[in-house]
Amino acid sequence: MGRMKRNLRVVRVLIEMRLQNLMMFRLSFFGPFFVDSCVFLIQLSVFQAVYYNVDRIGTWGKGQMFLYIGTFSMINAINMVICFFGINGIPDKIKNGDMDLYLTKPVSPLLRLTFERINPGAVPLLILSGVIIASGIRKGGIEITPSLMLGYMFWVAVMTVLYYLVEILIRSLSFFILSSGSAVILEETGLALCMQLPGIVFYGVYKVIFYMILPYGIMATLPVQFLTRELTLGGVMWGILVAVVFTMLTAFVWKQGIRHYNSASS
Amino acid sequence: MEIIKTAGLTKNYRRFKKQAGMMGSIRGLVRREYEEKQAVTNLDLSIREGEFVGMIGPNGAGKTTLIKMLTGIIAPTCGTINVLGYYPNDLDHELKQQYAVVMGQKSQLFFELTVEDTLRLFKEIYGLPEEEYQISKEYFVNLFQVQELMHVQVRTLSLGERMKMELIAALLHNPKIIFLDEPTIGLDAVASKQIRGFLAEINQKKGTTIILTSHYMEDIKTLCKRSIVINHGCKIYDGDTEKLFEQYQKLKKITVTFQEPTSLPKMGNEARIIEQTPYKKVIMVPKENAPGLLRELMGLLPSDISVEEEEIGTVVERIYQKGGEGFA
Repeated sequence: MGRMKRNLRVVRVLIEMRLQNLMMFRLSFFGPFFVDSCVFLIQLSVFQAVYYNVDRIGTWGKGQMFLYIGTFSMINAINMVICFFGINGIPDKIKNGDMDLYLTKPVSPLLRLTFERINPGAVPLLILSGVIIASGIRKGGIEITPSLMLGYMFWVAVMTVLYYLVEILIRSLSFFILSSGSAVILEETGLALCMQLPGIVFYGVYKVIFYMILPYGIMATLPVQFLTRELTLGGVMWGILVAVVFTMLTAFVWKQGIRHYNSASS
Repeated sequence: MEIIKTAGLTKNYRRFKKQAGMMGSIRGLVRREYEEKQAVTNLDLSIREGEFVGMIGPNGAGKTTLIKMLTGIIAPTCGTINVLGYYPNDLDHELKQQYAVVMGQKSQLFFELTVEDTLRLFKEIYGLPEEEYQISKEYFVNLFQVQELMHVQVRTLSLGERMKMELIAALLHNPKIIFLDEPTIGLDAVASKQIRGFLAEINQKKGTTIILTSHYMEDIKTLCKRSIVINHGCKIYDGDTEKLFEQYQKLKKITVTFQEPTSLPKMGNEARIIEQTPYKKVIMVPKENAPGLLRELMGLLPSDISVEEEEIGTVVERIYQKGGEGFA
């Protein structure tokens, strides 16, 4: 309990320091709001162009597709706001030996890395994603009940954690192979594909890849299936299993990585 | 009380050996050659609470690798380490709470913010109560005389000022051990002297055990009663610093000036003139022959005469070359 309280205080100070850091330069504070929102709107216009010309993808209609895009954007936006820039810096910190200073402090290095580079510029994406989700609910004619909403939020939370775990797992490879850039490119490509196509369209080997190896295929699919009451017991079990397996795998690889860390020469 | 103990400590690195040129790179794609580098070899070490120990050695000797193993940053290939009852590479928070590390070439401060901001983060990381934090901060801020620098951006500080701040950040939680890896690197003589003064005070007043690596022998000579010389990963000397320099400081430098142009008679005593003008002579002589030479020179009625120790750099070079003969 004491450790938890201390960690929360560290997180609070890290967030405050990051905000203060960004506020030292007005452009670095306000710039990301504009840039991130523009990138998001460009992505959105692409989706719009595609989905206004297509009535169905697999068994899903337009409402479900809107929900899917909104949900994926929401998971991505949460990640962008909280941890993306911190986690993304892990390979460089390993290469340059900057992990040294993280390892010698009595706080989890991963906790510091996760929260030390929050990005308030991505906050508008959360709002825009919420708007898309609301529009998907309306278009799909879904009747929202409190339990349905809570369940949906639960799945979004689980999948956000899964997204975070996959990010760490891939970047932890730098502990073992210094040039893990190719793995990151692979991750980004898979991510870009799954942001546009829901998991229900994948079959065969693609399903194995995007449901098991790089589980981006399930990240927004399962929450949407829950909201549209399509999620089967098998889907529930699979979602939980993947989250648990990736939690264990990431924890194992990270711990081994720390032990394997050779620290760049001074 | 012994707070650091290692036995047979060894760290090997494997590094890729690339042949020169494009062909070497292509060959490396197919068949890689690696070489094993022993950064630290079979090192036994024992440090007692409150000691101020200097580690010296040329670049690549293994000093920083040793510090990294003692702080748990890297794991040893073999051997045992015990720091305050812990195996450092277990990365126990309880151990990390009790030591601090300052690396001269790596900063733990946030460059765009003030030192006060960074200290706030460290307060939370080390779980310091507000009162203890304020007392500790005030003590070090007064000691280092940096009151007016606490509220300016770190990036605007000079190197010397920044190093003082690095030390405050490291010492804030009153660690039992502090590892300093070249803390005076790049500092001018005044800043180095100030830092040395602060470190001596912290060691004496707070009883903090300090392990210092430095290329500047002045740091080691001034601060460390005990020195450990490391070369090629091996400990070649571990003992009294004065004795070390005494052993290797073989020559004295005698500078003599005259009011009239004077020629020196032929000198025995293995003396060697290194600088000569009609009014001034600089002579190097083995230290055991210095008294005899001084007597001879006094007979020439000089206007001034001075005797200096041999330059410290020359002494260190000799220590590394001789590899601690007679000590290991």
